Order: sequence, then structure tokens, then C-alpha cells
Amino acid sequence: MDARILLVEDDPSIREVTAIGLRNAGFTVETAADGAAGLERFASEPFDLVLLDVMLPRFDGLEVCRAIRRTSTIPVVMLTARADTIDVVVGLEAGADDYVKKPFEVPELVARVRAALRRAGRGPDDADRIQLGPVAIDPAGRTVSRGGAEIALTRTEFDILTELARHAGQVLTRDVLLDRIWGYDYLGDSRLVDVAIQRLRAKIEADPSMPELIQTVRGAGYKAAR
Amino acid sequence: MHAARGIRARLTVTLVALVALTAILLGAGAYLFVANSLHDLALRDAAAQARFDLSVTVPDAGLPVGPTTDDITASHLLDTFHQRGIGAIVDLGPNGEAVSEPDLPGVLTTLPADLRQRVAQGQLAFAWTTITGRPRLIVGGRVGSSGPALYFVRDVTVIEEGLTQLRLALVGGALILILLALLAARVIARGVLAPVEAASRAAERIERGDLSARVPVASNDEFGTWAERFNRMAEALADTIGRLEAAEAQNRRFVADVAHELRTPLAALVAEASILRDHLDALPAESRRAGELLVADVGRLRTLVDELMELSRFDARAERIALEPIDLRRLVETVTAARLPEATLVLPRDPFVVDTDPRRLERILGNLLDNAREHAPGAPVEVTLTADAGEIVLAVADRGPGVPADEVGRLFERFYKADPSRQGGSSGLGLAIAAEHAALLGGTLTATAHPDGGLRIVLRVPVTGSLPRSDVTETGGPEALNATIRSQEPKP
Repeated sequence: MDARILLVEDDPSIREVTAIGLRNAGFTVETAADGAAGLERFASEPFDLVLLDVMLPRFDGLEVCRAIRRTSTIPVVMLTARADTIDVVVGLEAGADDYVKKPFEVPELVARVRAALRRAGRGPDDADRIQLGPVAIDPAGRTVSRGGAEIALTRTEFDILTELARHAGQVLTRDVLLDRIWGYDYLGDSRLVDVAIQRLRAKIEADPSMPELIQTVRGAGYKAAR
Repeated sequence: MHAARGIRARLTVTLVALVALTAILLGAGAYLFVANSLHDLALRDAAAQARFDLSVTVPDAGLPVGPTTDDITASHLLDTFHQRGIGAIVDLGPNGEAVSEPDLPGVLTTLPADLRQRVAQGQLAFAWTTITGRPRLIVGGRVGSSGPALYFVRDVTVIEEGLTQLRLALVGGALILILLALLAARVIARGVLAPVEAASRAAERIERGDLSARVPVASNDEFGTWAERFNRMAEALADTIGRLEAAEAQNRRFVADVAHELRTPLAALVAEASILRDHLDALPAESRRAGELLVADVGRLRTLVDELMELSRFDARAERIALEPIDLRRLVETVTAARLPEATLVLPRDPFVVDTDPRRLERILGNLLDNAREHAPGAPVEVTLTADAGEIVLAVADRGPGVPADEVGRLFERFYKADPSRQGGSSGLGLAIAAEHAALLGGTLTATAHPDGGLRIVLRVPVTGSLPRSDVTETGGPEALNATIRSQEPKP
């Protein structure tokens, strides 16, 4: 696998060892030490994935992520020192696909990077359109509309919605969703799922505080209304 | 409060007793003086009249010697007395008696013997007595040395009635005075005790931890001085506690800062060690062991910094709980299988679902199991879960060497190590962290040493909504506070 990865990280030791680890795993790695340099680099060369530290001098990681999202759907994985729910929410809001908590071991990071690349590499789905209540999902065009108006979803949100809608009426546990959407084994952080579901509801439900399309099954997981 | 009531009662009793005694003494004295004067006056008047009548009025009537009743009637002597409103009885010796009023016949024989005897001897004598239910003053004497004896009977009802009214007035006055004394005692007690009660309230507030409480310095007297001293003491106390708290907060901030500053180099170390670990075999033999130790020590350092960060989040009160329904039986099974698979499980027969924060329960149980594994290596460990509608009880008991009974209380202190010579992988923070998580769930961790060695640590967590609402994040939701044990269908 010779995917090209842009690594934006300000600490020289972490930047260097991470780059070594990724290169050992077979990736091509370019590095940048701050947000501005990272954006510059991103604009000048093609990449397959961006690894972004959250705390960066000159444009923090979240700003860089938003800027990338304006022009690209490239997978973005955040490196965060704090894995509070707040950080997860803000990261996903900025358009990140996943996050890895520091300190991390290199094999773990490599696994997450591969999972994100695999997900992004999935070709367009030529399955039929799915209808979930008033919401229409078009897997081929990766678009979602409600009452004719298109709703902008991130890749993660789109994948969760499609997965739940395909199994309407069936309960999917957080572990199953983590495995199918993020593509790695349950690492104990089901908050990723909860946060993504909340953000999804805010976009597609008529009243997000009284969700009708995506229901919480207490003690088990989530399911889409049949 | 109790002492204040005592003082109020004592003050009231004393004041009322003083006033009552004064009123009784004054009243009784006044009464006796007035009664004496009135009686004396009446007696003197009556005696003067009697003397005059015996020496002038009766001799002028011209009675014969040894007069009979008819002689008296004929002389109209008694009419004179009747007109003056004085009753008269004439003792006619063997000839009987003559009386001026219809209620007097026969009275003569009832007069005190002493009176009659003295009159017979020629003296002027008197007696206070009652005739036909009315108070009378009787004055008796003889006309000349051989004449008949005469008794003048006066109705003194007016005097006695006056004295009765005086008694009533005095008793009424005394009662009013006692009532006034009661009121005065209350007012005085309130005045005296108000500052005491204010001081008592201030002390109570300080006791509850409100160090800003002060006593009002309202007067210039001994109490005012005392209040100032009390306030100075409270000030000093607040100062000292404030300094201690500031020092402790600074201390905790320092720990949090240190842990935070360690994170970046630690993140580099962890990543570096993870690469090194994969290539240990490629190292020359003389440096391979050092490489292995380095990788292991980075792991220890990571655990220590993680735990310090975790504790400093508790100290900063930054931890929030997220409730969700969870099957405790399964949670205990999963955590035990991951951390100490050889432990014996004693679990309820059915799934047991409660609303709780599963991450914290996992952390607590995990730390208890790590503790048992490290300090009782190879010894049997038993994990017991019992729970009812009100409480979860989760116990981890090992049959290892245990802890001296007097050190059991220190188990949950930070960096406490039962055996300081042991340099295991343990940071000494695991049980302190478990205790913080337990407290966050509204529960407790307690440890007891088994007499035959071995340690038993028990977690108790209330099941129903004693968790503060503000601490519940949106993943839990307010509905999670409703209580919450329910049976669950078997999992597919």
C-alpha cells in the first residue's frame, strides 16, 4: 500500500517517530509542523489521508480540518491529547472522520489509518435508493434529501444513516456500528457513535429532542424506524 | 438555645417572686394598718357615746330604782337610742330585759361572759361580735354603781364591707403587678439574650462551614468586647483555612500541570517504544535487555501519568457521569474475564439491569482486580455481585497476605503502598482512583482485613436517583434518573 499521508504535528519527536512508524508500514509520509504549513502542503500535492494534531501553532487542527473540508472529502484523522466528549464532538463537527488519543502506540495508529483509507476507498454504492420516512437516501450519489431539499452529511454521518436504514427495525449495538462504520474492533469508546448519532439526528430529524427516524434502544443500541 | 431558655426561666422566676413578695408584704401591711385604724376609730366613738349616755342620757330619764320593763317603756328612753340608730339592751336583772330593736331580744344571754362580768363590776367594756348575721360592736356599762347595765349595739357592716373591698383591691393590684413583672422579665430577657442568640447563630454558621459569619457588635459592654474577640477569632480561622485551601489548590494545580507537561514527551516515548518493541530482536544482545526494560518502563510511566491526570480531573471537579442502562452481571463477567480470568465469580442468576455509568464501574472493578492480582499473586480471588432495588454491592475478596488491620484505613490514600519494598508495576493510585469513581456514583468503597490474611474490598452504589442531575450528560438524559432495575429479555 503506498498511500500518501500528510502528517501535521508540531512536536518534532512525535512527528518524526510517527512518520517512521507510518513509513515502516509502507505509507509515503509528508510532514508539516504547523497549521499554515500543513494547509500549504495540502494545496500543493495530492494526498490520500491527513493526520492532524488538534493543538497546532498558526491555525489549530480544527481550523485546518474545516479548511480541508471546504474543498475535499479526503479522510481526516485527528490526534488529540484530550479525548473528552467535547473534543470528539468538536472534531466530528469540523469534519474529521476519526480521532486517535495521545499517547498512542504506532501499530494502533496504523490500524486506524488503514481503516479510514479502506472506508474512503469503497467505491460508489450502486444499491437502490432507500426511503426512511420523509428522508430519501441515494447510495450511488451519496446524497440525502428530506422533502426534496438536500441535506449535507459528512461521510461518517452518511455511512451510519445508510447502515441503520438498510437494517430498519433491527437494533444495531454501538460495537456493531463501530465495527461496520469505523472498521476497527471495539476499543471501548462508544462515545464516537453516540456523538455521531446526535449530530445526524440534528440534521435529519424534525425534532432532534424527540427522534422518530433513529431511535435509541436503551441498554442495547440504535435502530431506524421501519 | 437550651442555655438561653434556662436563663430566661431563671430571670422570670426571680423577677416575679420579688414583685409578688413585695406586693404581698405591702398589701398585707396596708390592710392591717387600715383595718386597725377603722376599728379603733369606731371603738373610741362608741365608748365616748356610751360614757355620755350612761352618765347623762340615762340618769335624765328619771327611772326608779329597780326599774321594770314597763318603767323603761314608759320613759321612752329606748326611743331616743332608736332614733340615733343605736341598738340598746337594758339588763334589768331579775326583772328581765328591755330592748330597742326587734332583732335584739334574747341577745343578752349570748353576749360573751367576760363582757358581762366586767360590766357587772362597773367597768366600761366592749366586744366585736355578730348578731343575726351582721357584724356588730357592743359597748356595755352600768349607770352609777347600782343602776342597770346597758349594752349599746352598733351595726359595723359598713366598716367590714369597706375592708372587704380593700382586700379585693389589694389582691387585684398584686396580680396586675405580677403580670407586669412577667412581661418585664420577657422584655429584659430578650434584650439580654438577643446578642447571645445572635452569637449562637453565628457559631452555628461557622460550624456548618460558613466562615464569613460574624457576631454584631451592638454594645459597649462586656458582651460587645466578647463579640469583638469572637469575630477576631473567626477572622483568624477563616484566614488559616483560606491559606490552607489555597496551598492545597496550588498543590493540586501543580500536580495537574506536571502531569500535563509530561504528556507530550510521554506521547513521543510511547510511540517510540512501540516501534522499538517490534525491533527488539534486531538489537545486539548487549543492548536488547535495556531495550526491553525501556519499553516496559515507558508503559509504567504512561500508566502513572494517566492516573495522575485522572486524579487531577477529579480534583478539578471536571468529571461528569453518563448514565445508561447496563446489565451488571455481564459487565462483571466481561471485566473479570479481561483482567483476572482465574477469579471465582458469584453472580445473581438472572441478568441485572440498572442505570449507571458503566465506564466508572469497569474502572472500579478493574482497579480492584489489578490490586488483587498484584498484592495477592496466585491467591484465590472471589468477585461477588449482589444487588437489590436500592443498592449494588460488588465485593472483591482475595486470600493473599492482606494488609495490617491498622493500615486498612490508608488503602485509599494516594501513593499508599502496603509493602514499600515491593517495586511492582503498581503506581499506588489505583485504589484512590477507584474510590473517586465510587464517590462520583454516590457510592462508597470500604476495605476490611480478613483475620486469616486476605483483603476484602466492597463497593456499594445506590441504584436510584441520588445522583445530582447537573452531572448527567446528554447521553444519560434525565429519564435515566428514574429508577431502574428491570428484568431484561435474554440477549439474542
